[in-house]
Amino acid sequence: MLEKGKISSFQLSVLLAGFVLGSSVIIIPGGDAGHDAWIAIALGLMEGLFIAWIFTALVTRFKDKTIIEINDLVFGRILGKLISILFVWYFFHLGALVLNDYVHFFRLQLYPATPKTIMLLILMLVCASTVNRGIEVLARCSLILVPFTIGIILIDTMFLIPQIDLNNLMPILDVPIGNLLLAAHSAASFPFAETVAFVMILAFLNKSEKGGPAVSKGLILAGLVLIIASVRNNAVLGPMTAAYNYPSYQTVQAIDIGEILTRVEILVAINFITMGFLKISVLLYGTVLGLSQVLNLKSYRPIILPVGILMVLLALTNVGNTIELFEFSHNSYPIYAVPFQIIIPLIALMVVKLRKMPKAEGGKP
Amino acid sequence: MIALLLMGFGIVALIQIPSLIKKQWRRELICFTILWSIGLVLSIMIAVGITMPPISTIINHYITVMFGT
Repeated sequence: MLEKGKISSFQLSVLLAGFVLGSSVIIIPGGDAGHDAWIAIALGLMEGLFIAWIFTALVTRFKDKTIIEINDLVFGRILGKLISILFVWYFFHLGALVLNDYVHFFRLQLYPATPKTIMLLILMLVCASTVNRGIEVLARCSLILVPFTIGIILIDTMFLIPQIDLNNLMPILDVPIGNLLLAAHSAASFPFAETVAFVMILAFLNKSEKGGPAVSKGLILAGLVLIIASVRNNAVLGPMTAAYNYPSYQTVQAIDIGEILTRVEILVAINFITMGFLKISVLLYGTVLGLSQVLNLKSYRPIILPVGILMVLLALTNVGNTIELFEFSHNSYPIYAVPFQIIIPLIALMVVKLRKMPKAEGGKP
Repeated sequence: MIALLLMGFGIVALIQIPSLIKKQWRRELICFTILWSIGLVLSIMIAVGITMPPISTIINHYITVMFGT
């Protein structure tokens, strides 16, 4: 076992909620559905819960085993390793995409003159340091950061009550059903089904049978927060929501309490730094742990820094510009992510059921 | 810029390699060296201005062609 740490189901729920909030605190999903985005998020949450059921049902059958070891057992050594490499690539690429979101947001809104490399390296150093300390430290970080972030989102929303106009959400179900379903799938693929990265972490749960409920609770908590944020954004900005790249940031800019409490949008950026840190750390952890298991290493710690550097390099060269990043996230990502989020875990689960691989007892088939 | 890069990569190597040699973890040392070298080469290429293929843009292009999104 490369990781000796254990986390509780409560810590897993909170870490997962932080992971889902990740870049969603600035890029609220379901934007294609216009003012019905909250319905798209609710439908996306349902799809996300179904996808989470698939991978938790798979992983919790094999006690103390990550998806990399399970792939070897289910698909055999060679095919298993190939599929494991695909998963490692997905975690690595997704980590680079979150770094991209981070750097593009800060360059557009806050630090236009700071070099990308410096911003990425500083964040990556913190993430690498956390991953080096193991899963327990990461889970404990989430216990402090996630309630803080959710608290800020709720307080922001309360401060915006004078600006909220619920007529902006009417008429309900205005978008064609096809567009709504596409927006719902888009909301499921980013961010709910990205929790497939937890196939690397569920093995370290102290009570593996609580994995399913813990994942569902985390998803529902994050989903509710995102629905509140989406309703708030649409109710404040109205039809202009679609015109902004980062609607949450623009919405919070509207806070004005007696001309004293103004310009608090920096809180949204703080939320993004903390939740982005959690998401990138989980993905870096999944990448290095997965790669170490594929390569049969004794520890994942020696490769954290080089993999972190490679993730930063991929983030630097991943896309040509911000428009290309939005195009990829908007058009291709919901399709690109399907094999990793649904197809491979579903096939693995079906094989496990057909081969009647036993539920735990050390996970031996 | 290149000197800074080499210094950064040198520090990373100094942090990791001695402990790996001391523990005699050969496999880990080889993996670390390969990943470290790829990182160093790519960083130098970016630093001297060689344009890398943007992977997500390429994936976007192929998915757009295949699915017409």
